[in-house]
Amino acid sequence: MKLKKITAFAAGTVLAAGLFAGCGSGTADTAAESTSAVSSAESAAETEETEETASTGTKTLVIGDTTFNASNEEADVNPHNTYAGWACIRYGIGETLIKYSDEMEIEPWLATEWENTDENTWVITLRDGVTFSSGRAMDAEAVKECLEHLIEVHDRAASDLKIESIEADGQVLTITTSEPKPALLNYLGDPYGCIIDVEAGFDDGIVAGTGPYIAEDLLTDDHLDLVKNENYWGGEPKIDQITIKTITDGNTLANALQSGEVQAAYGMAYESYPLFENDNYQFSQIATSRCFFTKMNFDEGSVCSDPAVRKAIAMGIDKESFVDVLLEGNGFAANGVFPDGFAFGGDQVTTETYDPEAAMKVLEDAGWVDEDGDGIREKDGQKLEITWVTYPSRQELPLLAESAQATLKDIGIDVEVNSTADHNEVVKDQSKWDVYAMANVACPTGDPEYWFTVFAVTDAARNHGGYSSEKLDELEAEMSKTFDVDKRAELAIEMQQTILDDNAFIFCSFLKMSMISQSNVSNYTSHACDYYQITADLDIEL
Amino acid sequence: MNYALKRILQLIPILIGITFLSFAMMRLAGSDVVQELYSNRGTEVAQEVIDAKRAELGLDQPFLTQYVNWFVNMLHGDMGNSYVSGSPVFTTFINKLPATLILTVMSIILTVVISIPLGILSAVRHDRFTDLLLRFCSFIGNAMPNFFVGMLLMQLLSIKLNLLPVIATGVNFRSALMPALTLAISMSAKYMRQVRATVLEELNKPYVQGAKARGVTDRVILWKNVMKSSLLTIVTLLALSIGSLLGGTAIIESIFMWDGVGKLAVDSIEMRDYPIILAYVMWMAIIYVIVNLITDLLYHQLDPRIRLGVTKG
Repeated sequence: MKLKKITAFAAGTVLAAGLFAGCGSGTADTAAESTSAVSSAESAAETEETEETASTGTKTLVIGDTTFNASNEEADVNPHNTYAGWACIRYGIGETLIKYSDEMEIEPWLATEWENTDENTWVITLRDGVTFSSGRAMDAEAVKECLEHLIEVHDRAASDLKIESIEADGQVLTITTSEPKPALLNYLGDPYGCIIDVEAGFDDGIVAGTGPYIAEDLLTDDHLDLVKNENYWGGEPKIDQITIKTITDGNTLANALQSGEVQAAYGMAYESYPLFENDNYQFSQIATSRCFFTKMNFDEGSVCSDPAVRKAIAMGIDKESFVDVLLEGNGFAANGVFPDGFAFGGDQVTTETYDPEAAMKVLEDAGWVDEDGDGIREKDGQKLEITWVTYPSRQELPLLAESAQATLKDIGIDVEVNSTADHNEVVKDQSKWDVYAMANVACPTGDPEYWFTVFAVTDAARNHGGYSSEKLDELEAEMSKTFDVDKRAELAIEMQQTILDDNAFIFCSFLKMSMISQSNVSNYTSHACDYYQITADLDIEL
Repeated sequence: MNYALKRILQLIPILIGITFLSFAMMRLAGSDVVQELYSNRGTEVAQEVIDAKRAELGLDQPFLTQYVNWFVNMLHGDMGNSYVSGSPVFTTFINKLPATLILTVMSIILTVVISIPLGILSAVRHDRFTDLLLRFCSFIGNAMPNFFVGMLLMQLLSIKLNLLPVIATGVNFRSALMPALTLAISMSAKYMRQVRATVLEELNKPYVQGAKARGVTDRVILWKNVMKSSLLTIVTLLALSIGSLLGGTAIIESIFMWDGVGKLAVDSIEMRDYPIILAYVMWMAIIYVIVNLITDLLYHQLDPRIRLGVTKG
């Protein structure tokens, strides 16, 4: 019986200890306690790791990532497979011909210079002395084979690049496009443009690139093992082995970083940030062009076809509070399509600011008055009610809908929120919505044209609201033929101002991306384009 | 034997029915894998690219054609490829099964080891301190959802004591311990009460009084008589739990990065990956039919009344 008693107490203690152990986690009151716990666990983990390192003589790093998985179309690291190029470039396996600066301007990378000999012809000079991890030299012939394979198997790349033919001569590559393609180089910087040795094959989704690290072992939705590329053209990588660990749950990622099982983390949930706001960890944060914005429905049946209603909605959304309170500072209020820092972004365009008084005046002047005293305005017997369609897979979007619902109610607009995974179908029927809020990377290649051709010009595929502006269409036609970068930036500013003046879209905020690492990790730095996570400079101090 | 065969034959209409229903319900849910894939990325692609992808997967065909195609291929042993990863469904599924099986076995063993002795102890020590303490623990265990218990264990065993890893390092004992313990704590909390109630009920029966009067020791009564009678309840409970555990425990698998079929099922539902969903639905139907069959057969062995009833009938 004694034994049973002991078992009973032991089981009781496990349950109770578990309960008390968790009581403090995540609360501000016990921050000090959890910090000390963190540091003790971390130092234990670090000690373990250092010992391991000392015994094997290798420097290792484990990065936890919530985005590296098949559902995100990153089943492997083959850039020619859907979006897996993101993993290829992020984890330092592949490199593209050009790279983007944090202002999203293009800079030489595997290509050292380029020029247009005519509207459809690009002559690109490749960097000397670069070899693939397969041992083959990177010359124009290898790049030609790679790009030809890309456009053969990758529909999106083929439709972006419009490559007609490629010629190779030593280190000089000549690309002919089937139509003028001013942003060709920008597109070649997309992760699908990673230059790989196609002769080396694609076994198990692993490819031979030119980057600082070589993919060695891969198990989809589980892990990717990398070893350093001893022959890297850009200097010797500092870490011997890196493991990318796919972690689905945000809380698990936070726990794994606290326990020291991972030393760096990508894709942490906002609510876990406070756990790492101490000396043991560091954040690298940057504004990205992932934008949360709304489209207005211009169909006659929608109240949003009234310019006054659109203007009032634009004035009635409190972007600053949304970012500061609901996103807890993990974003930036937006002005136009592109964030600050871009040659054509930030304050270079103007739009309505949050001003409920002025919004009410705009509505009153347009005849929208609350006659029955229920707080919602009417005009000609029609209530000022809008259906706000959005979707839940981006955590910020339902929050934005709620925030708008509250502030628009103050000015007499009733908002009905429809947050549905089926949004793509719902918005096809213009009688079912008035405002459609979505998230999108506005400038994935550093070139502004893409956004307008997808969302805003009259015949754009995703112009769900039926917005049509002759001025915008003319400006876009001009941009499609303009090769001069400064002129394209000017046009982009004018095009943004046009849609903002029409209040056809409201740009609410941009995502602030954060990467968190232990304080002994250096150069784990976030970039505006979200591509270059692992570089030769990434290091861990032991 | 005939009985078992009949039950297994019943599987055929069940499988046709539920795969058809699942297929229909996935359609009703709206959206499809192509939309989900592209909306996950947040970048836009040309409609032609989307249409081409749909045609490639056969999603542009009418609903019934899609179902019939799938069914005919399945009869030929081809369960198709995952829309998301492109890998064959059968291999994907089989690769995930060992993890689920190990987790099921470990959590059931832990549950039995924790709940049966403690339930009996609680019944024997009826209304005394040990009983009250155990009932309190079981109350707490019942009140806490699985994922919360998992998080608490991570805090305690990984972050504070540094004993076990937060994320699984493969399908091994050390990595399985924490997820199995998480499941076992929640299940034991429920089982302990059931075992306690059953044992108490038996202890109050006249035959126990009779045995006591005849001078049979408590130990013999408890282990030889009471336990034998209580086993029926315990077996029923275990059968139900094994069924649901073999279906995977999506939340626990996601939290601990334990790569089993539950996580696969939830991911597939989110992505509208029909072939995987159908394989999962078939798997669930098969387990439930088989587990129920085994339970019924066990009843026959454990309870003479059922056995005799069947013979008479």
